[in-house]
Amino acid sequence: MATAILEQFINGTMMGSIYVLMALGMVLIYGVMHVLNFAHGVLFMVGGYIAHLFFFNLSGSYPVAILCSMVTLALIGMVLERLVFRSLRDNLRMQIVASLGLILIVQNGVVQLWGPHALQMRPASVDSLVRVGQLSFTVQHFVIIGVVVAAVTTLYLFLRYTRLGTAMRATSQHPEAAVVVGIDPNRVYTITFMIACALAGLGGALLGPLFLIFPQMGDAPMLKALSAIIIGGMGSVPGAIVGGLGIGILESMSTLVIPTDYRDTVVFGVLILMLLVRPWGIFGVRVRGEN
Amino acid sequence: MKATIVALVLLVAGALAPVIFAGQPYALYVLTLALCYAIPAIGLNLLYGYTGLVSLGHMGFAGVGAYTTAVLMKDVGLPFVPSLLAGAAAAGFVGLVVGIPCLRLRSHFFIVVTLAVGMILFTLFNNLDGLTGGAEGLPGIPRPQGFAIGPLEVEFRSLTGFYLLAFTVTTLIFAFQYVLVRSDFGRSLSSVRQDETLAAARGVNVFGHKLMAFVLSAAIAGVGGAMKVLFLRAAAPLSFELQESINLVLMLILGGAGYLIGPIIGAVIFVGLPEFLRIASEMRLIFFGFVLLLLARFAPRGVCGLAEAAYKKRFDREEAVGIAHS
Amino acid sequence: MVSPILEVSGISKSFGGIQAVDGASFSLGQPGIYGLIGPNGAGKTTMFDIICGRQVPSEGEVRFHSERIDGQKPYWLARQGLARTFQECRVLPEETCLDNVLFAAQDKRLGGELWQTLTRSGKARREAEAEARRLLRLINLERYADQPAGALSYGQRRLLEIVSCLMSKPRILLLDEPASGINPTLLNTLRDFLVEIYEETKIVFLIVEHNMEFIMSLASEIIVMHQGRVLTQGTPERVQSDKSVIDAYLG
Repeated sequence: MATAILEQFINGTMMGSIYVLMALGMVLIYGVMHVLNFAHGVLFMVGGYIAHLFFFNLSGSYPVAILCSMVTLALIGMVLERLVFRSLRDNLRMQIVASLGLILIVQNGVVQLWGPHALQMRPASVDSLVRVGQLSFTVQHFVIIGVVVAAVTTLYLFLRYTRLGTAMRATSQHPEAAVVVGIDPNRVYTITFMIACALAGLGGALLGPLFLIFPQMGDAPMLKALSAIIIGGMGSVPGAIVGGLGIGILESMSTLVIPTDYRDTVVFGVLILMLLVRPWGIFGVRVRGEN
Repeated sequence: MKATIVALVLLVAGALAPVIFAGQPYALYVLTLALCYAIPAIGLNLLYGYTGLVSLGHMGFAGVGAYTTAVLMKDVGLPFVPSLLAGAAAAGFVGLVVGIPCLRLRSHFFIVVTLAVGMILFTLFNNLDGLTGGAEGLPGIPRPQGFAIGPLEVEFRSLTGFYLLAFTVTTLIFAFQYVLVRSDFGRSLSSVRQDETLAAARGVNVFGHKLMAFVLSAAIAGVGGAMKVLFLRAAAPLSFELQESINLVLMLILGGAGYLIGPIIGAVIFVGLPEFLRIASEMRLIFFGFVLLLLARFAPRGVCGLAEAAYKKRFDREEAVGIAHS
Repeated sequence: MVSPILEVSGISKSFGGIQAVDGASFSLGQPGIYGLIGPNGAGKTTMFDIICGRQVPSEGEVRFHSERIDGQKPYWLARQGLARTFQECRVLPEETCLDNVLFAAQDKRLGGELWQTLTRSGKARREAEAEARRLLRLINLERYADQPAGALSYGQRRLLEIVSCLMSKPRILLLDEPASGINPTLLNTLRDFLVEIYEETKIVFLIVEHNMEFIMSLASEIIVMHQGRVLTQGTPERVQSDKSVIDAYLG
């Protein structure tokens, strides 16, 4: 029994790390721009495909493929922010419509370009195994956890200690005041979007080799990440981390008692419960007037 | 008003469709399918277009209605009308259960909840094998029993027969929407959409109205789901998954949310246009993805909105000319 | 003894660590135009919100014609005859001016609405519309009857908002800083208009206001709040010469 729990705990931490990457991207976009980007899942998926492309067509080096994927996604993010989301900034309903449009275009576009079947990518880290007691995991499991820890730390340092990071935090708290201090909100929005997309791409590039790369691979993670930022508290970076990890571990542990088919339902059930009991999340701030 | 004229034209054209498309059964097939989507789109219109609530899992309710009606007709042997009403009631009930706790939430959160509910319902359709047949679904759903009025034989097994049934049901649902929207209830819904705080200060029980709209829109979606599986003679979970819910939103936005005929126009365009243009099914969604982006940016009020704006431009110009001449 | 129309007793309200209202009481005994004033942070906005049902008091009671109304939802209060305007001036932007006014008179009970549509006679409908047009004429907006309210200027919308309240024949009218955002040249028009509708309705007007000149020249009685309590209540002349009031504003 203990080994089963440990196995699911490590699996859960690994998946949780992926959710953290997605959740961080979404919480940055929401916190700084107040945009709910449902298309984040397809960006995650594109990250996997681009990594695959660079891995096979360029170097055979997995780290290089990951980096190229992140850069590509950042560029895509820049284009999307400028062309699509900038003009819809205060219009929640049309943001959702635009996100849905993007999902349709990207998901079906990928099918056109790469076909509907899943792709495989097997860098060394997926083939080699690591022993933990009686269990064995791929190296990739721990690569994922390690890379995400590094990414989160880098992001934290960036937000806390760099000028651009401070500008992002300022804009998220009070856009008008930020302008007065000389921050260009458009530049902040673009950078925020680019960082968020790069994180999504990183997630796809990390997860893809472990399972498979296919057009729908980002759908469930996006919803789990969305659940994570709500449970953690909209606009809260620590909330996204706690939420993401929490959901990953909860999800994996739940398979010990409930059939795997209902794994997603467990997560959504917790989400709905959270929304009913404490809608502003674990780290969120209760808005005055909400009783 | 001009809108009434358009609606009447559509009514007549719809009734005559079997004649218009006499030699083209595929066209009639597509039109029938479009009507099966138009019905849940009308439900969504009531919720989104008039009350202002976004639901991204609405086909889940269609599924509840679909499976309820299918099981009652296939396994229990109940006739069409009671089964359909039971399907609507079941879907409405699920709407009630979801709505009571969730409609209090702020808009961002409510939207996410609808997404989650849609996915939970899909998981249930896919896994409750005993009830829904699981991933394979329920094949062999019977068509409604025909009847005779004097010498006239009315049946629903043929394409034409079922088309006319779908047309009748759609017209009834449309009429229901019309009465609701034009009533004081509809005006209150509209006030909720425009300014909730003001509506409450003027005496509108905002939560009650939202709940009512949600339940009604779920029940209507249930009717649509039932018609769809009766048409296809089979119910499967994939008919009610996330992509289908997104398509429903797409149809409504395309046709024009907040307009009475918006959902019908949207459904007909969404289902019919790719067939008409002979766009392959994979390109179809990419095409509509771009359409959505353009709509969000330039025409959030859809085809009806564009038509209204164009009409106003001509009307205003003529009025100005009239003043100049008088 | 006749009970007061509006009675506020011992209302307290705190947010987190901040005590916004601290045992405030006043009563409005007869119809009239009452002003509620006080320096920033006095708690008058919170008090107003509590009366309007937007906030629930931590302690105390509010009674309207002896019936307890504190803690009730805004829509219930509206149906009891409590009409209010908003500082930021709210109208239904997509509806015509006429429909904005008519909406206020519509019965909003959920079951009643559909029934009403089916049973309301043409005569009742015509009477309602005639009354609505009369109200629009009062504020000189009859020619905009069929225009969307969103197209009006701010001052016009303010007048529309007030006149929409009147359509429901309220028993008390609560105005939230009606002068805010109004051009000084239009303030006289607004004041004259409020006096005119008071003469017509003879109900209680309770006006929260920052603009001293405006409220002093309009109200028959002033209630002054300071640091969460009611400092004094009296005619404008008496209040303006009251030393404690002067100290509160200068201190």
